[in-house]
Amino acid sequence: MSRVSSWRGALVLAALVALPALPFMSKFYLLLAFDALLFGAIAMSLDLLIGYTGLVSFGHAAFFGLGAYSTAILLERGVVSLWACLGFAVLVVGLYALLVSYFATARRGIYFALLTLVFAEVVYTFFRYTQTFGGSDGIQGVPPAQLVPGVAIDTPLANYYAVIVYLALAYALCRVLVTSHFGKVLVAIRENEDRARFLGYNVQRYKMAVCMISALLTGVGGALYPGRSAFATPDLMLWTVSGEFIIMVMIGGLGTLGGPIIGGAFFVLLQEQVSSYVDWYFMVIGLVLVFIVLFMPRGLLGFRRMLGFGQWRATA
Amino acid sequence: MNFAHGELYMLGAYAGIAVIGVTQSFWVALVVAPLLVGVVGAVTEVATLRPLYRREPLYGLILTFGLALVFREAVRQIWGGDMRRILPPITGSTPLLGMTYPNYRLFLLGASSVLLLAIWLFFTQTRAGIVVRAAVQDAEMLDGLGVDVRRVFTLTFAGSAALAALAGLLLAPVFTVYPQMGVEMILLAFIVVILGGMGSMGGSVVAAVVIGLTQSLFSLWMNPQRVAIAIFGIMIVVLVVRPRGFFGREGVLE
Repeated sequence: MSRVSSWRGALVLAALVALPALPFMSKFYLLLAFDALLFGAIAMSLDLLIGYTGLVSFGHAAFFGLGAYSTAILLERGVVSLWACLGFAVLVVGLYALLVSYFATARRGIYFALLTLVFAEVVYTFFRYTQTFGGSDGIQGVPPAQLVPGVAIDTPLANYYAVIVYLALAYALCRVLVTSHFGKVLVAIRENEDRARFLGYNVQRYKMAVCMISALLTGVGGALYPGRSAFATPDLMLWTVSGEFIIMVMIGGLGTLGGPIIGGAFFVLLQEQVSSYVDWYFMVIGLVLVFIVLFMPRGLLGFRRMLGFGQWRATA
Repeated sequence: MNFAHGELYMLGAYAGIAVIGVTQSFWVALVVAPLLVGVVGAVTEVATLRPLYRREPLYGLILTFGLALVFREAVRQIWGGDMRRILPPITGSTPLLGMTYPNYRLFLLGASSVLLLAIWLFFTQTRAGIVVRAAVQDAEMLDGLGVDVRRVFTLTFAGSAALAALAGLLLAPVFTVYPQMGVEMILLAFIVVILGGMGSMGGSVVAAVVIGLTQSLFSLWMNPQRVAIAIFGIMIVVLVVRPRGFFGREGVLE
């Protein structure tokens, strides 16, 4: 990582930390900012797969939803420690991701996408129809998690800072990963899988590893979600949600890490803004997506660079 | 792969409702609605998909996901989100092999058999059908042979849109019509195509029968959600063990 970009990262982080001090930051805007950063971080972890490794996961909603359900289940049963919730989410999502990535990475291209999709549909169907976990209503009205006994993360401000910590750590981890030897191998697999294999790399092991990392980061994001919403519903794992995650990555720009964060935030803000004016916001989102695919295939970040604001580096 | 295919199926049902509203005839709608949706398909293909053929398939996937959102919302704005019904044009029922079947279902059985036969004849017996298959196999070579490949893709997309619309309208009297109906159908359609093997029509038919039977038989001793999971389970096994499906050719979309 160059010194310039770490300075820039620190500046962005400082701005985000200072954001709630602005006078217009009401509870409503804090929660909106929470969503924007949470989904930005999730889009970033999906970018590890799509942008860097060339694997399109159409099942990330299941990792997100499983994380959310793990937390909600513990909180509902009176286990309110944030760390217990996060640990449980990592365990649940990790086991599921191990299974999915083992089978899905054995196949390439469209078959990888379909396998992740079908596995996610199994999880969705399970939670949708299991009455123990609330069926189609999901788990509602869970209490807030506690950082240490007695200190609950129960305000929009506390949730906002929790998501900033998560985003910053996840970004640092992803940045280190993609600049490391491991990240270079991932790009090699994206560019030419057979060549990477002939060079002696165990391609499937690398793919599984990056799948696990991406899934766990997404799962931790999901685990933070009930703190903000007080619920976990099966709708969080619909396959269309997985589609929205991919949209966020595409909007931001594949293979840039920073781009998908912006893409996720942009998507959340767009949805919120448009839906407060008109009730046909899905059409606007659809049209924006069509426009981006047709005219800005490198996303917002790539578009900025295409216009001459710096060199395009998909793999930097 | 086209994520908007389910929405074309849904558009067929709604176009049918519109045409029936004007002409009061299901049969006129059965001809007109697929034609209308076919035109929608052709315009969509030329305007949005055509520029993408030189890029990665992923972009087409994302684009059709966006188109699906647009279509679904457009229908909700025009016709509202309520469930609607179309009355079956054929009423009455016939006793057959100890069971009683509604006549409309028997008509569906006949109509879909005729359709399948017609599609099969098109792909195997006509020059146009062979050109379409050639375009899938090696578009560049076909272009070199003097065929306007772009027109072939447009017409194929329009044809597949019209067929989806036809299916949507034919099934409308059996199911209900609502903006989300395509979303529910498209996954099942994907599963059938994957199980059967891409590019194999016979495979798709076999897979559809296998899934239909599995669903009915499992429903006898399992609750519906277990059945759904079982179907997904079958699909996972097939994808892992034999990703090309029952009869798929090698090399399609790999």
